Amino acid sequence: MRRKRSSDACDLDMTPMIDVVFQMIIFFIVTIKMDETKNEDIVLEDAAQSPLYEGKDPRTIVIEVDKRGWLSMNGAQMTTKQLKGIIKQRYNHFGAFPVMIRADRRTLHKDVRKVMDICSERGIWKIDFAAIKEHKKKHG
Amino acid sequence: MAKKRKARNKGDAAKLEMTPMIDVVFQLLIFFIVTLKQEDILSHLNVSRPAPDSAPPPEKKDDKLLTIEVGRSAWVLNGTPYAGARGLAALDRKLTKMASYSKNASVIIKCTGDSPHSKLIKVLNICAREGMTNLSVFSM
Repeated sequence: MRRKRSSDACDLDMTPMIDVVFQMIIFFIVTIKMDETKNEDIVLEDAAQSPLYEGKDPRTIVIEVDKRGWLSMNGAQMTTKQLKGIIKQRYNHFGAFPVMIRADRRTLHKDVRKVMDICSERGIWKIDFAAIKEHKKKHG
Repeated sequence: MAKKRKARNKGDAAKLEMTPMIDVVFQLLIFFIVTLKQEDILSHLNVSRPAPDSAPPPEKKDDKLLTIEVGRSAWVLNGTPYAGARGLAALDRKLTKMASYSKNASVIIKCTGDSPHSKLIKVLNICAREGMTNLSVFSM
């Protein structure tokens, strides 16, 4: 009997390890965000002294402009005409809503302007620009 | 021997097979670690946008009104150009000084079509730090 116990020495106490692993899994499940549909190519400009974006208003629509001036929303690329249609329809249904522009730092102003013009045509005067307050990840 | 082992297993029924569960749990853990992405903390810069058809207001020699032109490679603050490597720092000092006179001065930012978006964000960042909220962005 004594000899047998020494032979399966790998039968160590699993309980603390499983506890830790479950804790980690729960941490990752809670922190994961699956609904990220944003353009990863867009490099935002740093603006460390600007107010923190908390994303409070669920009506906000985020329009992305990449460095070539291409527009997209929720990961779907679109033309100015399509964007105009979407803004118009939304405006007619729900009234004014906040707009945030996520433009690449290399985007020329004329491309950002297109988006601002479409919004102000519908009477949306307040525009938010997204920028990075603090880097969490390092990118090249 | 066989009989003895069977009896022993029946004795501590709580000791179930851990290996598959640990396998699955590790798989889950690795999935969550790999898909974990640290997000940058975002800031937002709120500006107002005048109607697209309205021309920029005439330049007045009024110190309550700051006019910043954002060009391809330089900023022009009330007629004084700030360009080059030290341009931003000089503009920063000047704007800080001007903001100390009056926080609620109207700031008019005029962007040329070929100016990169980063230049506009840099100006807006300084304005946000100085607490100037009366910002309008015009396009030229």
